[in-house]
Amino acid sequence: MDTFTALSVIALAALIHASFQLGVSTITLLSSHGAGKKVAAGKISRLVGSFLAGTITVTTFLVFALLYFTTTLELWQKPNSLWTAISGALAALGIAVWIFYYRRGTGTPLWIPRAFARFLTARVRSTSLSVEAFSLGLTTVIAELPFMITPMITATLALAFLPADLQVLGAFGYVAVASLGIIVVAVLIGGGHNISHIQRWREANKHFLQFAAGTGLVVLAFYLYVNQVVAVAAAGAGIQ
Amino acid sequence: MPLAVDVVKRGGKRPNEVFDPSKLHASIYATCLSVRSLDGHADDTAKHVCSVVISWIDNKPEVTSADIRHQGAKALETLHPDAAYLYKHHKQIM
Repeated sequence: MDTFTALSVIALAALIHASFQLGVSTITLLSSHGAGKKVAAGKISRLVGSFLAGTITVTTFLVFALLYFTTTLELWQKPNSLWTAISGALAALGIAVWIFYYRRGTGTPLWIPRAFARFLTARVRSTSLSVEAFSLGLTTVIAELPFMITPMITATLALAFLPADLQVLGAFGYVAVASLGIIVVAVLIGGGHNISHIQRWREANKHFLQFAAGTGLVVLAFYLYVNQVVAVAAAGAGIQ
Repeated sequence: MPLAVDVVKRGGKRPNEVFDPSKLHASIYATCLSVRSLDGHADDTAKHVCSVVISWIDNKPEVTSADIRHQGAKALETLHPDAAYLYKHHKQIM
């Protein structure tokens, strides 16, 4: 995999990661409940900032941990079976996103079990300290790992192909792009945008976001399969 | 003061409660504040919605919490569409 291909894989994986919505839902609820309880705007901003810091921290930790294992175990140099498995997982995840990332009905209810959604909502309601908001950020990223982990592993495998000095930059770039959705909503809330308008936009565009994320995963799967499995096999067989 | 109306909660999964307008007022008031209404406006809106729901509930021996929410949202829609949207959908954000 050349540098350009690796960077394009990292960018696409990060954009797919950014399209996942649990963090955005949680940050929307956090600011909505804060305002409803007459919490000062400054404190809401601090809670939102702490939540954002929590999500960025755990995403950074996970990306660097996966990068460490990938490079230490030299997973990126493993045979085609690894890339076949990754391609298959990405394609399956893409189909899963198309089918059940959002539940049917109005609003933006996500795939997470309802009992867990109620638990998270209760935690959001009782969040009053920055440290609680920070841990809520950690929890939401971990809760969405079933969807996030495969693009994250794909990105770290691609990162391993980069020169050493670019790997750290690429990892931070992944985290920045992956956190873009939450950052944008946090900035909008901090800028005084109405929560109702943000939520309406999310509801109006949820099917587009779902389709885009699912399609992105399938495209990435196909791209990696052709680039890392078919092309390598063809080269091995001496086919140009 | 609570009215002598039983509220069936979550389709009977939780024990019934006597209808308490102050709980409705608190939830409408909080929703209005969530969409950045001013305090006085939020209070007036919540009072108006409560009076509409109370007049709807009058003479009914039993209502469900979903009925109250539906009637509250309908009354709120005319006064504050943004708050009504959030009130209707706050359980479907996550």
